[in-house]
Amino acid sequence: MHQIDCPWCGVRDEAEFQYQGDASVTRPDPDAGEDDFFSYVYVRDNPKGWHTEWWHHNGGCRQWVKVVRNTATHEIHATGLPRDGLPVPQARLKP
Amino acid sequence: MADLQTAAPLGEVSEFSADGGGAVLQVRPDFAMVQVFAKTGKAGELAQKLDIVSDPGKAGDTSSFAALPLSPGQWMLIADNANANTFGQEITEQISGLGYVSEQSDARICIRVSGPNARDLMARGCRLDLHPSVTAKGFCAQTQMAQVGVLIHQVSDEPAYDLYVYAGFARSFWHWLTETAAQF
Ligand SMILES: [Zn+2]
Repeated sequence: MHQIDCPWCGVRDEAEFQYQGDASVTRPDPDAGEDDFFSYVYVRDNPKGWHTEWWHHNGGCRQWVKVVRNTATHEIHATGLPRDGLPVPQARLKP
Repeated sequence: MADLQTAAPLGEVSEFSADGGGAVLQVRPDFAMVQVFAKTGKAGELAQKLDIVSDPGKAGDTSSFAALPLSPGQWMLIADNANANTFGQEITEQISGLGYVSEQSDARICIRVSGPNARDLMARGCRLDLHPSVTAKGFCAQTQMAQVGVLIHQVSDEPAYDLYVYAGFARSFWHWLTETAAQF
């Protein structure tokens, strides 16, 4: 069970959140073309290690929370508002 | 043409007392409730206008209603024994230009949980830490109990809690709550 520190509600159990995917992709310009939009919608990295992602606090304040989580250890390094740039640790995994 | 009739979400049910006397559940009637949304950049001004606080987890009390912060720039305003239409209209006029109002009085039911084992009963389904060292009168939070979204408002240090639950989940939630309360 993760415990996620929602910027508004404080620390809450994972059960109150819904995973909403990769927070590192940015929407292309409207005229960017089909290839860019295909990548934006469907193509994802599958990192073993740190990942910046969206969690929706649907069981609480219903805000979107940005989370830096380790996909291998499930450690959560940082959480923040959608506009926050969160630090991602250099090392992919803890030694 | 169907013959439409009004009905309360829990029918005529209004109270449950655990045999052991540890927990009492009361369905609270006659409250008016509106959700308020601040316009972008107007949350502070709106809060000032209504004389309410914006801190998460802290319900503010004015002379005529309680204000429960839901998320940034959003509150649930709850007035006892108030007329839903009049209350909504009053708030709409007060915050004109600063935000929006959504009438919610019939969208939820309110169950007051009290009795010597009220906190123990809450602990059976609520993931939040409700220990007196953490929460007191005035605490509020949106969370889930028994997989149902609940807006919790602690109304006394005894403690007692008001649980606002969506009308569509009222029967399911009442069933779980009474079954769980029976042990107290
Ligand atoms: Zn939250």
